[in-house]
Amino acid sequence: MSTLTKVLIVLLTVFSIFLCGIVVTYVVNADNYREMAETRRRELAAARNASQAAQNDLADAKEQADQMRRDMEARMNELRVTISDLETRLESIQRENTQMAQRVRDMGASVQQANELQASQMQQAQTSQQRVAALEAERTRLSRELAETDQALMERMAVVAQLEEKTRQLTEANQDLESRLNQYLRQYGKAAAAPATVTPRTGIVQPAAPLARDIDLTARVTAVDINNALAELSIGSAAGVRTGMVFHVTRGQQYVCDIRILEVGPDQSVGILERIQVPPRVGDTAATNL
Amino acid sequence: MSPMPQRSAKITVPSNLYTAILAVAFGAVVATAAYVAFRCYTQYGTIFGMP
Repeated sequence: MSTLTKVLIVLLTVFSIFLCGIVVTYVVNADNYREMAETRRRELAAARNASQAAQNDLADAKEQADQMRRDMEARMNELRVTISDLETRLESIQRENTQMAQRVRDMGASVQQANELQASQMQQAQTSQQRVAALEAERTRLSRELAETDQALMERMAVVAQLEEKTRQLTEANQDLESRLNQYLRQYGKAAAAPATVTPRTGIVQPAAPLARDIDLTARVTAVDINNALAELSIGSAAGVRTGMVFHVTRGQQYVCDIRILEVGPDQSVGILERIQVPPRVGDTAATNL
Repeated sequence: MSPMPQRSAKITVPSNLYTAILAVAFGAVVATAAYVAFRCYTQYGTIFGMP
């Protein structure tokens, strides 16, 4: 074996061992790409799952956010309505407050006026008490005078009673005389007039009243009983006809007779015929004064 | 190349040292190839193709 062969053998061996060592070192230190790929694949799937879950969570969160937004909008609307009501109430309360403040000021002024009025009334009360004391003294004096006046009045009352008795007697005598005078004057168609007072009246001069006045009644003959000399007139006591009155019956310008009233009704009267010149007829005129 | 005895050459003892060295080199290469094949099979499931 030549030396060159030996050298080649040794070099081949050395290089082979060296190359094998390098290859083994590389293989030992080489990465396991399959395992890495599997790991990355699993990580990718996990990431996708996480992404899907995150999207689902995002959608849920968005839905919840929308729901919360709607709830918040509804609540904001309610709060706006509440705020509007509260503002209205606030304005009302402010107005009431203003009115109450005005009333308080008015009441303060009223209290001040009342105090002034009370002071004035106190002063008036003191003045009144003084006047009451003076009036009490005056009343005592007047009471004493009243007692004296009562005594005088009692004496004059006795005199007045006597005068009244005398007046009553005179009145009765006057009435008796007046009734007698009327009875006498009726047949002449007259009645007693009110007498003039003895004491003259002051003022405008008046003519003296006549002693007698005309009765001045006019009626129609409504029925005639010539056989019994009776006739009926169309007026009665309502018109003033009294028993004993004499009516003069005429027919135009002709005197017919007289009728002396015997019986008087409310709206008719019956009398006896006297001084007959011609027979009376129904429709003739009868009057107390010609 | 065989150690044939010649008349003019001196007599040398045949040695297997370099054969042993070659065997070591061959063994190292074989062992390396086997190791690389084992790693490829265990990691990728195949020796020569793409997984």
